[in-house]
Amino acid sequence: MDDALEVPRPQLPTADVQEEDQSSGDEDGGLDWTKLPKLGTAARPVIPKRGEKDFEPAAGGGSGLQLHVLDRSREAMLEALRAGRSISSKSISYGLWYPAIDRVHVITARGIHFSTMGHSATRAPPSEGMGGEAVDAQSNSIPGSKLPKRLELLPEEALYLVERGALFCYKFLSNGLPLVDSPNFEMTSPGAPMSVQQAFAEMTGRDGMTLERYQVYAYLKRLGFILMRAEPPTAEYPVAALTPLLSNRPLTQPQTFRGKLTTLFSRFASNVLSVFRLSRRSDWWKHLQLSRYRTSADIFQSLRFIPCTYSVPLPLPSVSEGKQASSSKALPFALSASPYKVFFHVYKPSTPFRKTAPPAPDFYVVVVNARTTPMPSIQELTALFDILPVMPLPPPRKRGVQPAVKNPPNSPPTDDPATKAPPGISRPSSTPGWPLSALTFLRRLLFFLPFFCPTPPAQADKLASKPTRPPNPFLALKTGKKTIVIAAVDSGSISFFRFGQGVFEEWPMA
Amino acid sequence: MSTSNPILLRVSNKKAYVWDIDDVAKLRVCHHICGVLAGTLPHLSQQNVFLGVPLLLMPEEVVLLVEKGLALLVDDKNAHHDPSAPALRKWDSDRLRVVERQLALAEEHEAKEALNPDRAMSEKAILKRKEREEKRARSVQPNTAETSQEIPEESLFANDSVPNLEGHSESLRAESPHRSSVTVPPQTFTSPYTIQVPGASSTFEWYDQSTHSFTTLAAAREAGIWDYPATPAEYARCGVFRDLWEQGYFMGGGIKFGGEYLVYPGDPLRYHSHFVASAIESPEAALRPLEIVAHGRLGTGTKKAHLLCEWDEDKESVTYYSIEWAGFG
Repeated sequence: MDDALEVPRPQLPTADVQEEDQSSGDEDGGLDWTKLPKLGTAARPVIPKRGEKDFEPAAGGGSGLQLHVLDRSREAMLEALRAGRSISSKSISYGLWYPAIDRVHVITARGIHFSTMGHSATRAPPSEGMGGEAVDAQSNSIPGSKLPKRLELLPEEALYLVERGALFCYKFLSNGLPLVDSPNFEMTSPGAPMSVQQAFAEMTGRDGMTLERYQVYAYLKRLGFILMRAEPPTAEYPVAALTPLLSNRPLTQPQTFRGKLTTLFSRFASNVLSVFRLSRRSDWWKHLQLSRYRTSADIFQSLRFIPCTYSVPLPLPSVSEGKQASSSKALPFALSASPYKVFFHVYKPSTPFRKTAPPAPDFYVVVVNARTTPMPSIQELTALFDILPVMPLPPPRKRGVQPAVKNPPNSPPTDDPATKAPPGISRPSSTPGWPLSALTFLRRLLFFLPFFCPTPPAQADKLASKPTRPPNPFLALKTGKKTIVIAAVDSGSISFFRFGQGVFEEWPMA
Repeated sequence: MSTSNPILLRVSNKKAYVWDIDDVAKLRVCHHICGVLAGTLPHLSQQNVFLGVPLLLMPEEVVLLVEKGLALLVDDKNAHHDPSAPALRKWDSDRLRVVERQLALAEEHEAKEALNPDRAMSEKAILKRKEREEKRARSVQPNTAETSQEIPEESLFANDSVPNLEGHSESLRAESPHRSSVTVPPQTFTSPYTIQVPGASSTFEWYDQSTHSFTTLAAAREAGIWDYPATPAEYARCGVFRDLWEQGYFMGGGIKFGGEYLVYPGDPLRYHSHFVASAIESPEAALRPLEIVAHGRLGTGTKKAHLLCEWDEDKESVTYYSIEWAGFG
């Protein structure tokens, strides 16, 4: 790269710029398959740059040069597509696909993939019972006996490995062929050998894995991210740490009679409470006792008697006030049919990851089909954000002029708030560590009680007004406290969108 | 020729794929249908710029190809029959024969190397090889020690048994036969050989599409494998797509440009698109001014004109309007 800068250029760079202008942006393809390294030539494949394109073919279907170049591109593409999946017998893994349970049992696991893929599951051994049929029976019915565990892959994991050529998959045959028992699967196949085509046909659409979700999975996997299911498909699937999804679960479960009674009572109680609170809040004269306030921020704080936090429940569309009791029940019901559900937990490649105990995810990814799914409604987005944890603010970008402050945002605060806050670093009140996050978690728990409208976080507000205003709130405003990634897939092309929940109430401009 | 030998579109989960490379070429060259490559390229599996088979077709492309009689729909899942025992035995024996031939070739190659001692057997080379082996053994030892400590004995069957060896495939390979002696039956081939994971199923004897192919959309719909188009909007999209296709344009997905299709004057491999097309389902459909602004703005920004394609179901015709900034001041 540096050499290119040093070598004097024979032509003016403006010509280059003009050509760039002609192109219509990266999105518009411009793939040059001819620059793809030929099969087996390069030891370390290099991804070539996108090639140049012409505006349009010359009259009559293109000039001779255009046709020649096009033919070359097509040939290069087809040659690249013809590449087979070959792998050494010493590094290939073997798996057996059970269509009845949507899982691939890994017979031989080799390679680094399995440090981030697959989970162990307890299954009845196939030798017990009637041949191979017993495998389908979940062992959960016999809790006492100790059953062997085995490594299993979800459909997307198996399909990805098959597609990469790292896994040879056999389909389990239930038609009485005694092949499963054959000890030496290298000599005799333990089932029907599966091609990549068959794996696509069999494994997509299984266990919630639509083609769209698989494409997002494979896209991120190819880039090195680690992906896990957000909703554990079985009880044995490892659950990410600090997942607030669990707190949401009681809501979706069918309510028992006793549960209904308790919610009724609590609803009544909170109703009464809210009346009290309202009467207390409507003490208008309180706001005029000016002597209590020293700064203008204090005044603005107290003037804000419409609570502006996300803890205030959203008004429901097209539901009258009188029927709120039924609507509060209808709300989770309607949202449960929404396509906007977190499906994948995504981890950066650099995140230390143990697949038996995955840490809190770096990204939450929703996958939707762009052809059938409309834009998310505010209710859907709010429901998504409600289950997400509060993300810490990313470290502020360093400016060239100001001396960089060495204080990382995670370190315990050493300076007392009375002294001037360091200029380079923002110390927002929103991320003071775990006590507040525990508080918000608690509040979120309470929020699930209908009509329980917690007071706006007075403590946090007080904290916010105390120190001098942090220098740059825009990073926090742009990032938001909670972030969700929505992948919209339209027959093969994936677009990723990031939605953040703003924190405007915590960063008052006045 | 194209009618006598239609392209097979493998349908599973209401998505149509093309697996045969020759069909991919034929679609592109003869029928100017591009589709989107959706699979991992096996030899470049860590990037998303170049992708491989299967070629995933847009539903409009599928409808067009079937209606023109250029393609058949194949119920792919059911076309994969379970192999009979003799078929499977034959597949196994074929496979083993290939492996044996491979090993024989490797042996032959090795023997040739041995016969030619000046290069492989010179003292210098031997010394070097020994040194390399020692180095490898030294680097492997700490790793194996670590991993064997990590693994409790009882979890050998669990996923914990997969070593956490990132980037140490060398050492992994070195120890895997030793470990697999517990979980894996003994292998018969001691020396490594190459395995091909088959891509398309057409090589399988038990793959038979003849009883599972459909020449019309209605038949496929009846069989429950295909249901596009179903709504007026989808009919409009198909109509617009067909009309543009008949005029010789290449079409790609236009979601990143705020429309339904990108319209190319030639193969998208070489030419820029001129238009972003969006289908309007009927002459009565409402069009908001803001849409015109957005389309005009985005089209100008990307050096394309936006095409509003209005589909008239009764006349089965498309009316086109293009939006461009007038450019006064």
